[in-house]
Amino acid sequence: MIAPRYLIWPLLTLTIVSLVCVIAAVTQGSVALSLEQLWQAFQGQGSLLNQTLVWELRVPRVLAAFATGGLLAVAGALMQILLRNPLADPYVLGISGGASVAALLAILAGITGVFLSGAAFIGAVLSTLLVFGLAQGVGRASPMRLLLTGVVIAAGWGACITLMLALAPPQKIPGMLFWLMGDLSYAHTPWLAWLVLVPICFVLMPLGRSLNVLARGPMQAAALGVNVKQLERLVFVIASLLTAVAVTTAGSIGFVGLVVPHMLRLVLGNDQRLILPACALAGGTLVTLADTLARTVIAPEQLPVGVITALLGVPTFLFLLRRGRV
Amino acid sequence: MTSLFFLPRHLMTLLLGLLSAILIAESAWARGLCVEDDKQREVCMAQPAQRIAALSPGATELIYAAGAGEKVVAVVSFSDYPPEAKQVTSVGSHTRLDLERVVSLKPDLVLAWGTGNPSEQIATLERIGLTVYYVEPHDFEDIADNIKDMAILSGTEGAGFKAADDFLAGIQALADRYQSAAPVATFYQVWDEPLMSMNSRHYISKVVTLCGGVNVFADSPRLIPRLNQESVLIKNPEAILAGGMGERNAKWLEKWRAFPELLATQRDNLFFIPPSLIQRPTPRLLDGARIMCEKLDVARQQRG
Repeated sequence: MIAPRYLIWPLLTLTIVSLVCVIAAVTQGSVALSLEQLWQAFQGQGSLLNQTLVWELRVPRVLAAFATGGLLAVAGALMQILLRNPLADPYVLGISGGASVAALLAILAGITGVFLSGAAFIGAVLSTLLVFGLAQGVGRASPMRLLLTGVVIAAGWGACITLMLALAPPQKIPGMLFWLMGDLSYAHTPWLAWLVLVPICFVLMPLGRSLNVLARGPMQAAALGVNVKQLERLVFVIASLLTAVAVTTAGSIGFVGLVVPHMLRLVLGNDQRLILPACALAGGTLVTLADTLARTVIAPEQLPVGVITALLGVPTFLFLLRRGRV
Repeated sequence: MTSLFFLPRHLMTLLLGLLSAILIAESAWARGLCVEDDKQREVCMAQPAQRIAALSPGATELIYAAGAGEKVVAVVSFSDYPPEAKQVTSVGSHTRLDLERVVSLKPDLVLAWGTGNPSEQIATLERIGLTVYYVEPHDFEDIADNIKDMAILSGTEGAGFKAADDFLAGIQALADRYQSAAPVATFYQVWDEPLMSMNSRHYISKVVTLCGGVNVFADSPRLIPRLNQESVLIKNPEAILAGGMGERNAKWLEKWRAFPELLATQRDNLFFIPPSLIQRPTPRLLDGARIMCEKLDVARQQRG
């Protein structure tokens, strides 16, 4: 299948923008490195210090930022289709709440490192299963039931989080806030995020047409021969997996999953074949840019990336809305 | 089969490794550059530290006390004592470190705060190959041990050991003076909103005990209990001590004047202690302890 031209140009543009942003992000840091020094470090030459800075600190963090942004934006777009609600974001069904509660319990138990991320992932998966199981109840799991169940479960997690924050020893609170705010300075490794993002984008590609139909409503989709129940389940599983991995990598970074899909729809129209890969690229770019600002703008003080994603996203989104293409 | 074949070689490597590890450890011991940190890990340096990163305000005070102040190349926000520390490059706040800047300052010894710094970030520094010493003092002896350890790692044993011994001697002098003094039921207010105190495991409670005070929340199950005013009224402390926002702000104490039924209010035993002297486990705790002991003595005199 050859992709039509109207798919290629936007994606090509976004790919180039993404690459430029990633490269720019690697050049920026609280330690100024010239392009020449960077180039040497990339080739494994130059001072050992520069190589450590680039390979051990900057590159893993930039890659983690990009993958997390991509995961969140794709998950947000899928949730919006699944729930047929423009306000849906990756966290609306309580996945980040489940991950945070598990992570906070692990922190209180003194668990750190990889096992902490593992706990967050298990919490996200358990929360997903809980929401799905409860939403099924009697009869079919309609998107409305799913949404309400998810919102209530999320509120329940919120209460657990507040309780744990109130009871936690003060010195553990900064580490706990990380899971609630989203912060890439704690991300250890980008590889899990990439290993999930890239294959899932390929899985989603052939589904674009069916998703387009589903976005118009389940009746029409069923009439057009789409197995709605199966597709909804698949979308739910994929969106949950993407969110779980994103939260495990970088905590709950807000705003990306809500706003990036909408921004792209305002500019590119609502064709999922285009929107989903575009979300991966644009979400990645937004978080990469935001994290670069977060670690440099008032260096040596470091900001949580969620602050910047919201500060960048809100005016951009409002501007697009006012241009009146909704 | 292959594993059997390779076993002797593996064993040999292992033995050689062990042997050399022992030899290295021995020689390091001989030069006295190995210490145990507050996570009970052995920290060794091949030679005295030349460039030190202190990743908490407390660690900064301790390393300066150890006599290695001029070797400090990195501190974090709020490292305001001694005043020279304010001139040192900051690497961000202790909860979110600018790792690039830490690494670029090329420290050969990192003083990390076990419960304050993010464990992921310290793990990254260790992976890069930096030597990390965890600081987490819980009582007077820990403070002295931290200073001595830092002095050993920095090769400043002369100044460091003296500072540590002076500190312990000062504490001992207070202990001797107040150990038989009449007990004073004492409430130390760690924070105002939410109202917080500390139980007997906290070092501030140990200062209260040192001065002949009785911490009214010593039996609280949590290290830093969150309280309400009722629970303080029911304990009816004879003295209330508090820090505050800033070094001279005694507003927290004023609130207790609204409760004339409190023994502490009746006798005007509401005492301010500059928070930086008592809320950081550093040698300055001795100054804080002296103030606290004087205040509790004032409370004893008010009994009339």
